Amino acid sequence: MEFDLHTLIRFFPVLLEGLWMTVIISTVSLGFGVIIGLIACLGKLMERGIEYRLATNFIDFFRTIPEMVLIFWVYSCLPLLFDLRLSAETCGILALSLYSGAFLAEIFRAGILAVPREQIEGALALGLPKIPVWRFVILPQAIRRMMPAFVNFLTELIKASSLLSAIGITELVYQASTLGAQTFRYVEFLSAIALLYFLIILPFSLYSRRSEIALVRRTGQ
Amino acid sequence: MKMKAKLVFWIGLAVLAAIVIYHLNWDLVRALEFSTVWEYREVMVWALGMSLMIAFIATAIGLVVGTLLAIVSQSSLPILRWIVVIYVEIFRNTPILVMLIWVHFALPILTGFTTTAFQSGLIAMGLQSSAYFSEIVRAGIGAVPRGQWEAALALGLPLRPRWTEIVLPQALRIIIPPLANLAISLFKATSILSILSISELMTVSTRISNFTFKPIEVLTVAACMYCIVGYLMSRGTLRLERHLREGER
Repeated sequence: MEFDLHTLIRFFPVLLEGLWMTVIISTVSLGFGVIIGLIACLGKLMERGIEYRLATNFIDFFRTIPEMVLIFWVYSCLPLLFDLRLSAETCGILALSLYSGAFLAEIFRAGILAVPREQIEGALALGLPKIPVWRFVILPQAIRRMMPAFVNFLTELIKASSLLSAIGITELVYQASTLGAQTFRYVEFLSAIALLYFLIILPFSLYSRRSEIALVRRTGQ
Repeated sequence: MKMKAKLVFWIGLAVLAAIVIYHLNWDLVRALEFSTVWEYREVMVWALGMSLMIAFIATAIGLVVGTLLAIVSQSSLPILRWIVVIYVEIFRNTPILVMLIWVHFALPILTGFTTTAFQSGLIAMGLQSSAYFSEIVRAGIGAVPRGQWEAALALGLPLRPRWTEIVLPQALRIIIPPLANLAISLFKATSILSILSISELMTVSTRISNFTFKPIEVLTVAACMYCIVGYLMSRGTLRLERHLREGER
């Protein structure tokens, strides 16, 4: 068979729409995920008590449940349970936010715990109040340490957003499979989106690995 | 500070709980019937077994192909090394779903071989897992001290025993924990195969829920099954990790 570039170019704007949807959904879910992750991370940093227990259970649950199952559950059970009309997009964003919240909580926690204790003790010994200690001592170092894992999670999130095609959200995979079914040009469209995903994810993944190596070299851990 | 953090946590939780309690459709909750799911228990357990089997086969493929790739990536020929790098980068940086539909719908057109949904699923998962696993093995091999290599070379050991007797056993200890984690994520990924209606847990439970019109009960039970198995697997991994670390001392 020959590679039909013409059809691909003709329908490329539709693919770009799908790409836009993928980007928007991933960004919005990441935003909500950061909020959920911060709350869960706070709970987990308590180290004991009911907050810790709740946060740990939340994190463990959403880290172990497969993304596909979570998406389907939110899509087909939640609207029934709450008697709501939720669009597929809302359900998808909700599912991905919960998923990223659980993973991000662990990433945040690992970053904060990686800050050497002496730094915090030193700052406290100098008489710095609690909030500047967080603002100027813990957070800048923690953010630098969590960056590789955070960016790596971003690649996972973009990959997971492809699953939303299963509930009919018009993102990249959905557009490509519909176009493929309409034009019988599966090879062209599916290869095109594979390449698109690859091109989006590769820079993040490279950055994540490079900065991880740089971090290890700098902190000597 | 601790008090404030606690306060933030509880306020967030309280708002969430208020929304949930206010909006929950209590009539529906009271009418939930888990006995329907119980009738289908055998089918669902079989389907879970199927998921586990697919994950196991995918791990095995990843193990074999990934190890080969990792060994090739140590080769002195740059072209071989580049092929491995490209392979690994392609499959690490594309979603498994895209690979799955590519293998199922595009590959038959290109090669002329049609694959069943099950075969496509295994191929896609095998490609992905071998890419991830080759990275794990490479890290493991990289962690074997250089002195061991040099000693093996100095003793004049040929290529094969150098790998099977010296390098791989030492690398194995470093490799096993991430391998177990990979197996867990492959188990989670089996649910994606439901796109092609391979009769694993996700497909079967969607089918049951369509048949009985009880999506909430069936899907919740399926989610719990995934969760329990995944949780047990990750507990097992933690224990294994601890065991290996103790063995090192």
